[in-house]
Amino acid sequence: MPLGIIFKRAFRDIRQNLVTHIMTTIVVALTCLVFIFFSIFSLNLQRIADRFGRELAIVVYLKKDIPQNKIPSLYQKITSMKEVEKVKFISSEEAFKRLENYFKDEKEVLEGVDPLFLPPSFEIQINRAVYNPSRVRAMAKELAQWPEVQKVQYGKEWVDRLESFSEAVRAAVIASAVLLLVTAAFVVSNTIKLTVYARQDEIEIMRLVGATNGFIQGPFLLASFIQGVTGSLVALIVGLFCYKYVYGIIGQTELIKSLDLQYLPPSYMAVIVLVSGFFCMIGTAMALRRFLKL
Amino acid sequence: MLSGDQSVIELREVQKKYAPDIVPLENVNLTISKGEFVFLTGPSGAGKSTFLRMLYKAEEPTGGTIIIDGVDLSSLSKSQIPQLRRKVGVIFQDFKLLYHKSVFENVALSLEVLGFKKDQLANRVRQVVEGVGLSSKLHRKVVQLSGGEQQRVAIARAVVNRPPIILADEPTGNLDRKRTMEVVTLMEELNARGATIIFATHDETLFKNTHRRVLYIKDGKIEER
Ligand SMILES: Nc1ncnc2c1ncn2[C@@H]1O[C@H](COP(=O)(O)OP(=O)(O)O)[C@@H](O)[C@H]1O
Ligand SMILES: [Mg+2]
Repeated sequence: MPLGIIFKRAFRDIRQNLVTHIMTTIVVALTCLVFIFFSIFSLNLQRIADRFGRELAIVVYLKKDIPQNKIPSLYQKITSMKEVEKVKFISSEEAFKRLENYFKDEKEVLEGVDPLFLPPSFEIQINRAVYNPSRVRAMAKELAQWPEVQKVQYGKEWVDRLESFSEAVRAAVIASAVLLLVTAAFVVSNTIKLTVYARQDEIEIMRLVGATNGFIQGPFLLASFIQGVTGSLVALIVGLFCYKYVYGIIGQTELIKSLDLQYLPPSYMAVIVLVSGFFCMIGTAMALRRFLKL
Repeated sequence: MLSGDQSVIELREVQKKYAPDIVPLENVNLTISKGEFVFLTGPSGAGKSTFLRMLYKAEEPTGGTIIIDGVDLSSLSKSQIPQLRRKVGVIFQDFKLLYHKSVFENVALSLEVLGFKKDQLANRVRQVVEGVGLSSKLHRKVVQLSGGEQQRVAIARAVVNRPPIILADEPTGNLDRKRTMEVVTLMEELNARGATIIFATHDETLFKNTHRRVLYIKDGKIEER
């Protein structure tokens, strides 16, 4: 395939129809921007969820009358669960000490209270590599069934809410991705069709002198790929500026700073650019197939 | 009928029917050998263009078989048609030029589709354009040329890729006597270099004294003269 000529023709088509091609690129960029917006939101939410999950602990309260010699085997059993990162045993005495610490100067309130009135417990930290709200829930449920366990506590509501929220956002990301692909492919293939109309005589003559379908289609496919790529690149740059601008306004508070928000990672950006280019090309190929009766 | 591998164009029982009363070709059997120079003649509307169009598969016969260079055209898939067209250089009666492109670009098209490199392509195009006497107008747009000049651009484009078969559909239709004879001479040169040529014309003076084969189309029949 003579690539040089295909490039030359593709750029000639774009140059001779520059306004239409720029408009198309803007439409592609706007669609990409919607997708990028949702992606930033979703990715950062995921990051926050990860951090939250990392710090989230499950507290397993044991029955007060549990014999001391049973503790090590329970400890072993919990440590061997694959969701578990770290387990810490808090004895009744230690729990009481914490309470004393908490009251500090007003220790008197605890005078006369049995130092063993609090149940012993395990504090479990979840391994964040396998963190997943539904797993945490399942695990808490399982632990609650053990005969030695009195009660299990974890950030249940938080976990549930975060879960349904990130699911909704992920659905939005997928929906916007589909929107991006369909719209971009449709708009670009239509612009290319206009170019094909304008080149009908030339295409007819190229056929008569023995041009292959690849040779005839190549420039159009390349032009559409270029549009998909430039559209998404423009969107990524505009998106970055918008992100910086918004962050400049809201990013001053300690809370936001502690969340450690980020723009899209480079690999994600590369995927957006390639997928955008690729789908614009597929849309065009399908349009050409019908149009050129290949 | 066993002309072996020497036959480059063969028609068996070929029929072309546009409408019940328009039948340019009726059961035509014909063999043209490699390296032949054949005049195709007949009154206007007899079917000369139709005959040629079927040879590069721009038109399908309504019956019979056409074999070019050993290949039955009805067996060609769409993706194989380019291979046929590269073997067959056509000078179209209506030129089929890109009028807003230069002479160079028009002629270069035949080589571009073959993937020629830039320098080699430019050399070849210059050489052929010089051969048809248009060197001084190489970068003119075709629309600025006279009818006769356009005709010669069409000829240059048809032969620049050195096809083994050349189909010329009234290639002298717009030329004066002097230019007409130049075109005939050009075709004879190409023929001398091995190309098989079918030269369609209704101008009898071109073949009146020729020793070459003349095919006459009329009322759906092709007769030898
Ligand atoms: N596409 C077509 N549809 C219907 N009739 C056609 C078509 N092309 C040519 N014809 C008819 O076929 C006959 C032969 O035409 P053509 O091959 O152009 O003749 P010539 O080239 O010898 O002048 C004419 O009667 C013409 O009107
Ligand atoms: Mg004709």
